[in-house]
Amino acid sequence: MTAPGLETEGLTLRLGRFSLDGVSLEVAPGEILVLLGRNGAGKSVCLETIAGFHRPQCGRIRIAGRDVTALSPERRRIGFVLQNFGLFPHLTVARNVAIGGEARGGAAGRDALLERFGIAHLAQSRPAQLSPGEKQRTALARALASRPDLFLFDEPFSALDAATSETLRDELGGFLRCAGIPAVFVTHDRTDALALGDRIAVIEGGAIRQHGPTAAVFARPGSIAIARLLGIENILEGRVAAAADDRLSIALGDGSLEAAQPAAALAPGQPVTLCIPGEAIRLLPPQSPLPPQRRRARVAAQLRAGPLWKIALECGFPLTAYALPQTLRECALVPGGIVDIEIDADAIHVLAAERGSVNG
Amino acid sequence: MAARVSDPPAATGNWAPAAALLRLVFWLLGMVLLAVVALPLLRLALAPSIANLVAAARDVEVRDALWLSLEGAALAALVAMVLGVPLAYLLARGRFRGRGFIAAVVDLPLSVPHTVSGIALLMVFGRRGIIGAPAEAYLGLRFWATLAGIVVAMVFVAAPYMVSAARIAFAAVDPRLEMVARSLGLGPWRVFFRVTLPLAWHGIATGFTLTFARAISEFAAVAMLVYYPMTAPVKIYELFLRFGLDEAAAAAVLLLAVTLALFLVFRHFAYGEAAAGGGR
Amino acid sequence: MTPRENPPARGGRTLIEAGIAALCGIALVVAGPEAAAAKETLTIFAAGTLAVPFRAIDGQFERSDPGVTVEPQFGGSVMMAKRITALHEPADILAVADYNVIPKYLFGQDGKGGWTDWYVGFARNAITFVYTPKSKGAHDITPQNWYEVLARPGVEIGRSNPDTDPSGYQTLQMLSLAEAYYKVPGLAQRVLANAPRRNIRDTETALISALQLGQIDYLAIYRSDAVQHHLESLKLPSEIDLSDPARAHDYAAGIAKTKSSALAGRPIVYAATIPAGAPHAALAAIYLALLLGPQGQAIIARDGFGAMKPPVAVNPEHAPPAVKALVKPWPKS
Repeated sequence: MTAPGLETEGLTLRLGRFSLDGVSLEVAPGEILVLLGRNGAGKSVCLETIAGFHRPQCGRIRIAGRDVTALSPERRRIGFVLQNFGLFPHLTVARNVAIGGEARGGAAGRDALLERFGIAHLAQSRPAQLSPGEKQRTALARALASRPDLFLFDEPFSALDAATSETLRDELGGFLRCAGIPAVFVTHDRTDALALGDRIAVIEGGAIRQHGPTAAVFARPGSIAIARLLGIENILEGRVAAAADDRLSIALGDGSLEAAQPAAALAPGQPVTLCIPGEAIRLLPPQSPLPPQRRRARVAAQLRAGPLWKIALECGFPLTAYALPQTLRECALVPGGIVDIEIDADAIHVLAAERGSVNG
Repeated sequence: MAARVSDPPAATGNWAPAAALLRLVFWLLGMVLLAVVALPLLRLALAPSIANLVAAARDVEVRDALWLSLEGAALAALVAMVLGVPLAYLLARGRFRGRGFIAAVVDLPLSVPHTVSGIALLMVFGRRGIIGAPAEAYLGLRFWATLAGIVVAMVFVAAPYMVSAARIAFAAVDPRLEMVARSLGLGPWRVFFRVTLPLAWHGIATGFTLTFARAISEFAAVAMLVYYPMTAPVKIYELFLRFGLDEAAAAAVLLLAVTLALFLVFRHFAYGEAAAGGGR
Repeated sequence: MTPRENPPARGGRTLIEAGIAALCGIALVVAGPEAAAAKETLTIFAAGTLAVPFRAIDGQFERSDPGVTVEPQFGGSVMMAKRITALHEPADILAVADYNVIPKYLFGQDGKGGWTDWYVGFARNAITFVYTPKSKGAHDITPQNWYEVLARPGVEIGRSNPDTDPSGYQTLQMLSLAEAYYKVPGLAQRVLANAPRRNIRDTETALISALQLGQIDYLAIYRSDAVQHHLESLKLPSEIDLSDPARAHDYAAGIAKTKSSALAGRPIVYAATIPAGAPHAALAAIYLALLLGPQGQAIIARDGFGAMKPPVAVNPEHAPPAVKALVKPWPKS
């Protein structure tokens, strides 16, 4: 079995206002771990510590099985890509890539890399003349020239517009999967997490609050704060009305919902918080009589959200759902109108009222 | 897919007159300053006759003084660069206690009256000075009436310009670029010389120019340590005393002309190179 | 140059700064003209070595006439003269360390042009070597063996620039006279070997500093400097130290070779005149009368100069009456 791409154990650090508190991460070879957190949560500090720019008070870091905790940054074999890609403005594209290969790779690979990334025609251009996509490719070529064992990305797209970000993200994802080099990708944008991350770690206050496969974490956020961070659209407070073997009936507002019992079984009367992703709510044309599992809701508002519509619903409690334009037509959605909605019990995540940290 | 920003539309509506007024006022203010600076220089340049200028150019003592001043100032600027640029880097990047204090101390010579500077330098670098005495005893190095003394006095008065300019230049280099360079495998020294220094070069070159200029014009501090051999300012003063205004002005004009020519040449090489990338 | 700090609320800070600037401006405007209107200012250009006695005399002058402020400026004698003749700066009185400076730079040709045609000698001085207890040979130097001690290897002697400053050429004249007086050929050369060009400075400040800091062991300068700076000095014979106007004829045998010419020795007599264009000529005359009278001469003597008994003048008939009354004609030599 090959060693993990990255393994950190209990990284702890105090650096002025920033701190890391027992950060333990693992990235398998070829895997992308997204480190998701708000601004100031400690994501950049975490990355910089892994890269070797801060010395942790305790903890270990292993990259491709090598213990690098005591090594200086240039010996760790890391590719570090920053916001705006950090190209050296005083060097041409060719020299940028070449300087990447100097220390470890040797200059011979430079032309091959330029070809591979489709930037050979820009060899004599300066970074200021490049488009964001070209910059990304140059930065990747440069990093690749240094033959890293691990890639670290620190919000490379955060200064770009949505459309460009999306294109670049797709390109990046494709590149990483093809190259098979493990990567940690830091972002505050959950879209990046969903698109790129094989696994996701949520960081807040310098500590990892939850980690696991992306889908699992999004489906089962461990706390209200994490749910908010993940952008779960519906976070509702209620109370357990009844509990059967594997089902719960939750009283919310003026209505109720049925959800699956979480691992730690809950009893009637307990206050709970429900997390329901907007996309888990199915919108259907109103039918009479109302089939089981469905309920009627009134459309409070509808707003465009990119290619989709965001529908604000009221059914005894507020809900936010998404609809394709086609759904709008099929259900004849209008503000003030009625629609039938259906939510799978499994899609509803139940959190006990106390905050907890749950591994998904 | 390069994003190309189209030219903004021509200023319309309230924009144009307001901007024009601003420019007008700024030009007026600027003209006043330019007049204060340029008029005395122009008047000085016109004071000596061609005969005076030729005589000054022919005078071997004037030529020697000019040469000595150029030599001293160049050495002083180099010394200031070699010693000051590293200090500037530490001041720009470092997070140590007393950083502000050290920066203030480095700027102090700018506020000290030049004669006082000279006396202070003599105290330290003279025959009985804490540096001068051992230097003479162990290294055979004397600062009284030598090129070394000229350079020391010039460095004292001019180094603040070097350190300030370099510090500002380093502060403007994104430290994260240095991080990226380290991650690519370059050690701290390579990062400094291949990434940081080239990016700060413009500011450092400006610092070099200012340092040279300040050094070459210093009179009282240099004259305290070194009267003979005479630097240009000392020679110019001597000419005024022995002869008069025209002779002194002629030598001064020669000094200015040579210095100006040097600046232009230097700018062409220093900034021309930087604009083309500088790095090898 | 200061570390980056969060600026306080910008509006408030600018307001405070503007307020302070305005107050300063108002204060300057109000104070300035008021000060100028109240007093007349007497401008004196004087040799650096006169700083101490002149400041005392200025004090007395201002006390006797409260409507007057005296503004003296001190520097090299030749520099002060040229500020009047070449730079056309207005001055009420010019006082120099060598009376020759006035005819050389301020007299016109054949009674025409020029800045003045008279001057009055008001103080004497002696050229000597001054030193400190730390100087090499200080413990065994005497007025008899001084030229041997000064010629010892390793002794550093400082002096002024003979091309531009009176004390510079007076030093050379004194050494030339000493060689003849002591009948020791080569005396001057041997002493000057320890006073090479590298030890020449052109300001009193530089020379005194160099002596006090031990850069030089001996300094060729005036007796008055020794008194004023509390330094040791050699009592040289008046045959060589240029201190006695009666010996003017003998002094002429001492020659100083400068870049421009060879200068014959003359007694060190400080002279003063009122240049043409003086803004307050009448006040200047009263000042000179104070300088030449008993009070002024007492201050002169106290500060290490030789008093003129009596003060003498060249072309006294052209001097103001207040001055003329106190002087005798300059002795012919």
